[in-house]
Amino acid sequence: MYLETIQVEHFRNYERSSIDLSQSINVFIGENAQGKTNLLEAIYVLAMAKSHRTPHVKELIQWGQEYAKIDGRVKKNSGTIPLELTIYNKGRKAKANHIERKKLSQYVGLCNVVLFAPEDLRLVKDSPSHRRRFVDMEIGQIQPLYLHRLSEFQKVLQQRNALLKDLSRQTNPSTTMLEVLTEQMIELVADITHRRFYFIKLLREWAQPIHKSISHGCENLDIHYLSSTVDVSEEMDLSRLKKVYEKAFDQNQKREIDRGNTLIGPHRDDLKFIVNDKNIQTFGSQGQQRTTALSLKLAEIELIYNEVGEYPILLLDDVLSELDDRRQTHLLSTFKERVQTIVTTTNTDAIDHEMMQQARSFEVSQGDIIREK
Amino acid sequence: MQYPEPIAKLIDSFMKLPGIGPKTAVRLAFFVIDMKDDDVMDFGRALVNVKRQLVYCSECQNISDRDPCYICDDSSRDRTTICVVQEPKDVIAMEKMKDYRGLYHVLHGSISPVDGIGPEDIKVAELIKRLQDEQVQEVILATNPTIEGEATAMYISRLIKPAGVKTSRIAHGLPVGGDLEYADEVTLSKALEGRREL
Repeated sequence: MYLETIQVEHFRNYERSSIDLSQSINVFIGENAQGKTNLLEAIYVLAMAKSHRTPHVKELIQWGQEYAKIDGRVKKNSGTIPLELTIYNKGRKAKANHIERKKLSQYVGLCNVVLFAPEDLRLVKDSPSHRRRFVDMEIGQIQPLYLHRLSEFQKVLQQRNALLKDLSRQTNPSTTMLEVLTEQMIELVADITHRRFYFIKLLREWAQPIHKSISHGCENLDIHYLSSTVDVSEEMDLSRLKKVYEKAFDQNQKREIDRGNTLIGPHRDDLKFIVNDKNIQTFGSQGQQRTTALSLKLAEIELIYNEVGEYPILLLDDVLSELDDRRQTHLLSTFKERVQTIVTTTNTDAIDHEMMQQARSFEVSQGDIIREK
Repeated sequence: MQYPEPIAKLIDSFMKLPGIGPKTAVRLAFFVIDMKDDDVMDFGRALVNVKRQLVYCSECQNISDRDPCYICDDSSRDRTTICVVQEPKDVIAMEKMKDYRGLYHVLHGSISPVDGIGPEDIKVAELIKRLQDEQVQEVILATNPTIEGEATAMYISRLIKPAGVKTSRIAHGLPVGGDLEYADEVTLSKALEGRREL
């Protein structure tokens, strides 16, 4: 799939801008703070209905305006779909094919994107919450139900934490309501864990050969999903997972009441990356960590293709200059013909000359986009 | 220029209603000025009376103009079944169906620790008391299919199970007469979960 056009209105520093994109490589060139990343963010928001840079969508609205609007036409195998996302101070409205989609799960997934930004290079090193976010966003694109389960989980978690806090202050707490919320919790955490295991299994299968090829056959990558709170593994089926969680919640009930907090669940899980039998989060070089991040992103592209039947759109935010030539070439050449790629950069010197020749380039300056040549 | 005080007060009052912002409030207030005197009087009386004359039925906790309410007082209704709902509006919805002949119980909310609403803040104790009447054989839990509604239903079922009263939960899934292709993923997965053998 690819974006034919994108149009932004009152988005960040853009008053109004409209561009036609090429089906293969698009390069946006400009100095810092001109709006290159804002443009990629707009494409990301159009696809995911949320931003990768901020949890507060109202920050996306241009200063002094009431709303921000993004329009785009996605060309897919099945035809062209117009997407429209309007962001207000209080909430957002998503339309696909000119029809409003009230549930986000009916909208997210229509247009698939894979974003690679400088902060992703630190994915391996960053805090566990970053890695969970990565996992959640990616599963959300291929399994619409996952996002729904996740938001239900968040709601139950809030209710349960509020109740636990309440119970921790009582001398002789009644646990009936807690048992109800725990039962709801077990359903959801088992389902979420199951889906995450499945995703990691796929991701590993795709990432391993890619990683080997980028590292010229020197490195073997392995990815594990780790639960810090329960003893679960990839081989367990849903009913087995439920039993494990049931037991864990049962054993920890008293401790949870004492602490006034939910201590078990996927909100405390993490990913572990092993290269040549070493945990590279602690023992890896910066180069190894970057290669791993790159392998993951490239694996994601293949994974989405496999699950959805179409290649996603690749967004590269200023990362080319961060990668050495070999990794850069690998990134761009692997998908040149198949994946629409949208790149931002301050300097075209860092990009392979031949590649630049075939790309459609735009100049970004103070919220204006001008097509070159 | 400011509005004269009587109008300003009316605008303020309208704005206290849900879904009414400043613009609508002004429009409604000016409409009231042009209304016939009799209509305005009726409107005013209706507003006051709704507060003064409405009572809660001591049986089912539904709002009514008499106690016990018409449904609880109706000897032709089936007293062995109680349908538990969250709001008085839900009773109206069920009654429209004209097929349910049992009694109701209105909880006036759902349990939500985040909002500080515990079981004691809704009419659960009143329901348990009603179950001491040995006529009751079944409790149908018809709370909303939300996280809170579901938790409330599960909580109540835990409380009344030991009493030996049959408890059931209404089904959720596909709307009748709808096409499968138009159902959203979440509804569809619920429908699949609740499938039954034929």
